[in-house]
Amino acid sequence: MADAGKEKKPLVSGYLMSTQFMELDGCTRCQECMKWCPTFDVRQDRPGITPMYKIAKFRELLGSQDGLRAKLFGSKPLNEDEINIWKDDTYMCTTCGVCGTVCESGINTVELWEAMRPNLVARGNGPYGKQSFFPGLLGKDRNPFQAKQSERLCWVPEDATVLESEKIAYFAGCTAAYRQQALGVATVRLMNSLDIPFCMLGEDEWCCASALIRTGQRPVMRDHAVHNVDALKERGVETVLFACAGCLRAATIDWPRWYEGYIPYKTMPLSAYLREKVRSGDVDWKRPLDFKVTYHDPCHNGRHLMHVKGRDWSFEAPRDILKSIPGVQFQDMTRSREFQRCCGAGGGVKAGIPDLALDCAKARLDDADLIAADIIASTCPFCRRNIMDGRAALTEKSDVKIVDVVEMMAAAMGLDTTIPDNPYMQYQEQDVIVCEEVCEIETIERKAEGKDLVGEAH
Amino acid sequence: MADFYTLGLTYWRVIALTVLVLGVWIYGLYFMFKKWGMGSTGYQDELRHSFWLFIATWIHQAFKDGVWVFVKTLVLDILLLRRTLRRSPVRWVMHMTIFYGFITLAALSGFGLLLDTIIHFNILGYAHQAEVIFDMMALPFDIFGYMLLLGSTIGVGRRIILREVRARTSAYDAVLLGGVFLITITGFYAQWMRGNSFLVGDAFAYPIYAPHFALVHTILALALFAIILPWSKYQHLIAAPMTILANRGGE
Repeated sequence: MADAGKEKKPLVSGYLMSTQFMELDGCTRCQECMKWCPTFDVRQDRPGITPMYKIAKFRELLGSQDGLRAKLFGSKPLNEDEINIWKDDTYMCTTCGVCGTVCESGINTVELWEAMRPNLVARGNGPYGKQSFFPGLLGKDRNPFQAKQSERLCWVPEDATVLESEKIAYFAGCTAAYRQQALGVATVRLMNSLDIPFCMLGEDEWCCASALIRTGQRPVMRDHAVHNVDALKERGVETVLFACAGCLRAATIDWPRWYEGYIPYKTMPLSAYLREKVRSGDVDWKRPLDFKVTYHDPCHNGRHLMHVKGRDWSFEAPRDILKSIPGVQFQDMTRSREFQRCCGAGGGVKAGIPDLALDCAKARLDDADLIAADIIASTCPFCRRNIMDGRAALTEKSDVKIVDVVEMMAAAMGLDTTIPDNPYMQYQEQDVIVCEEVCEIETIERKAEGKDLVGEAH
Repeated sequence: MADFYTLGLTYWRVIALTVLVLGVWIYGLYFMFKKWGMGSTGYQDELRHSFWLFIATWIHQAFKDGVWVFVKTLVLDILLLRRTLRRSPVRWVMHMTIFYGFITLAALSGFGLLLDTIIHFNILGYAHQAEVIFDMMALPFDIFGYMLLLGSTIGVGRRIILREVRARTSAYDAVLLGGVFLITITGFYAQWMRGNSFLVGDAFAYPIYAPHFALVHTILALALFAIILPWSKYQHLIAAPMTILANRGGE
């Protein structure tokens, strides 16, 4: 009787394109996705989180409302418990996209998951846990760290040259600006040493808002996309460089969907740009980095963009840089490039289901341990952060370090990447390369407790 | 030929049944496309609920990268199942043999019905020639039948032998594979009962009941492939290739 008169919420499917409805019926249930899914790999007791089961459940729910039987005899009442389990399953996914890569039916799974989630949000079931803070944080602070926009460039060394406007722009992203400033400093130093004039948006750089899209919370996205595109256009930018895979993905695929005007610039991974400098002989290596290095392909720069930017930019450019650094002994992990294992942080999992993110990170560390790597290099601050967190959560200590490709390059070029004193020094947490006689890697752990409401956001 | 019409069925009744099944099948396809048409035509676009706009959206996506990409995808990913081959050669053999076995047998059956019509009405006086051609079709029927048998045996075997695959098999999968396997087996048995089969000769010949069994097989085939196609896993026969084409070969 408690439910008497209470209106039952209908199933919402309005964010799906018609071809995505078709994709639901295109699944052949070959189970290939289950072999590759990084979250299922660490949650074997939850087959429901795998693509095959998620699709089957959604198809079943849709069928109960719009199938032939529903048309003839009326739709079945929805079971809220079932919907909530399906919601959990849908959010226990990093949207890494490996399922789409191996799918026999060629289902574009990333887009499908990202179209399912807004329906759950619209229905009041989603998002998951702390993911619900994202719209408020971004709407208010324009970044997920509750940091001041006016301090976006507080880490830039005084003697560094960053222009107000230029044809090339460096979009640093929130993590490099507030939490992994070593990456930002290394990038600026490197660009200066190679005599590349570039600008940054500073206070006008708003979060790429990737987390909103990934978690199905679309409304605030438009503001961020439109603002960032306009800010880049106003500065006359022709090429935007990204050292953050999540920002690159959002700027390349998501922003244009929300921006109605012409976008005159092209987006480019910083690694691809710097590789050209290495190839042209502009880079002067000063020191060897005597480490065994492997490369972790970020999903956002790899699988998500390989058909947009090409495999060369997505997979080979960072590897080529690493291989060109003197002293580096490079070896790929068993799962690499389009078959790479996701670090576990994406799709809002880091914020919403942190223990799942950590378990995925541990699995990735195991991959690196198998080849006895000293360093996991990457081009995504978010992957870096999560793999470091996974390392910290290991019961047996791991000596594997996690460093950005740009920082390795800066170290081998003998650049000073000291972070100038700034209000966010106490929140830095990263492995940094320290070079004196020889180069070593130190882990900075100065993170203040309880500062980040939702961790980082992609 | 005339032996086929047994158990009270006549040529006209079979034709009427076929037309009815085709009608249900076409309505099923329409229903399926209409269901897909519930979605929007673009990212953040409004919902359409339109059969025609689904078709338009699909065409737009399939040809987004040009005709050449469409043709390449059609040949490599649909006709040659490249994506399946990359992941599992065993599943590739299964799909290829079922796909080409089924398609060819369906085409041969359709052609057989055409020949039967020519024989029945002696159209243009070609009844005799049509009968000769009809008899010649026994061999291709056998070859593609064995092909289908191989594929469906792999399919059923995989679901039974591989522990993990078996554990995750649902009624949705069982209806598809069980149906294919049942039709294949009944088809073979119907052929063997006639007593002139490729490989087994007349070892299973039972001419009195052969027409009855052939009819059972035909009705099963019509029922399983045509009537339930749009409402079961059989819909992947249409949805999967259309998905691959819409995504220009996929990721």
